[in-house]
Amino acid sequence: MLLANNISFYRNNNIIFKDVSLALPPQKIINITGANGIGKTTLLKILTHVLIPKKGNIFWNGKNIKKNLFNYYKDVTFVMDKQTSNINLSVIENIFFWKKLFSSIISKKEIDAILDLLSLDNYRNTPINYLSNGEIKKLELTRLVIERKKLWMLDEPYIGLDIETINLLNETFINHTKSGGMIIFSSHYVPDIPNIENLQLENYAQR
Amino acid sequence: MHSVNPILALFYRELKISYRNFSDILSILMFFLLGILIFVFSIGPNTEIFNEIGIGVIWTLILLSNNLSLRKFYQNDFNDGSIILLHMSGLSYELIVLIKIMIIWIFLQLPFFIIIPLAAILLNIELPNVNLILISFLIGSPILTSIASISGSMNLLNQRNFAIGSVIIMILSIPIIIFSVGIINASEEIVRAQLQILIGILFFFLAITPWVSAACIKLAIQNK
Repeated sequence: MLLANNISFYRNNNIIFKDVSLALPPQKIINITGANGIGKTTLLKILTHVLIPKKGNIFWNGKNIKKNLFNYYKDVTFVMDKQTSNINLSVIENIFFWKKLFSSIISKKEIDAILDLLSLDNYRNTPINYLSNGEIKKLELTRLVIERKKLWMLDEPYIGLDIETINLLNETFINHTKSGGMIIFSSHYVPDIPNIENLQLENYAQR
Repeated sequence: MHSVNPILALFYRELKISYRNFSDILSILMFFLLGILIFVFSIGPNTEIFNEIGIGVIWTLILLSNNLSLRKFYQNDFNDGSIILLHMSGLSYELIVLIKIMIIWIFLQLPFFIIIPLAAILLNIELPNVNLILISFLIGSPILTSIASISGSMNLLNQRNFAIGSVIIMILSIPIIIFSVGIINASEEIVRAQLQILIGILFFFLAITPWVSAACIKLAIQNK
């Protein structure tokens, strides 16, 4: 369970948001919504302790993440708004790098199946800089399955995806929550998934 | 807390990327050799002068070529956010810095062991002195890589003023130049003392670089 208590964030003495609290029990999804520049990405980065809030604490399974950072990271997958695949490496090399980096037990067959499902199997040995934006985003999303962690955090996961992949992603979300996982993501698009809760950041902004 | 897997994974990835960008390494070596040639042309065909200043010329150009590797350290990983990913896999920033220094040293400094004797031939430097250059380079090059790491991490957010990174490298490198060039001109009794001072500087930089660079990276991530 992820708990955030009264998080406030300032940038150059300007309040971005104030006193955001959230609770994310297992089998639940939170969708952070709000206008551009309201701080959706910032909130996700705070929840992963990439940015440090001015006030407030975040707890994972009852422990403050500040003191148990690496234990917390063992349970989190963070898909950023940027692509983290290296442009000099090919699709399969990036996947194997992630597999080894996160000591994943995913098998070669499963990787083949995922690539097939995302119709990336023709580009296995293509370097990332020849892929389109959507394909890079799809590759980024494979990390969710490779890392196999409980808590998924996604920043704008739907950008650049085709309808087929959006449906596939929604299906993956549903399966993940069914098996006890938690998801928190930011998006302007509100998908039709059970157990989803909207967090409107506009309510916390002070302009 | 750590397992070995992420370290090996990062090591392997860096090796692969460096191998893919092998032309970068070649161009840095070319820069070094061409720099030496330009010195040869501008001073003229006086072998005695070369014997005196040759070592200084070689070390100056090593320093200048070191500047070229500055942006290779963290810039790409920082821009695409993969440095955060590496951190989330359980590697502390300090460890990431250490691994990066090792890889960059292997790929950008080791080739100089082949090219320095070549440059020494061009400058007509005597053989015993070539040995001394190689020894001082063996100790001095990790220091240069550490300095480049510090400068590279300081300039992560700096997208406009590219010269300042090189300026930082130059300032920090002055002691290394003094002691490594000093070895050759020193009398035999002091050579050992000079080498020991150089080794001292090496350990100092190896000790502080991970912390300094990691602090700079953290600051840059906070302020992005």
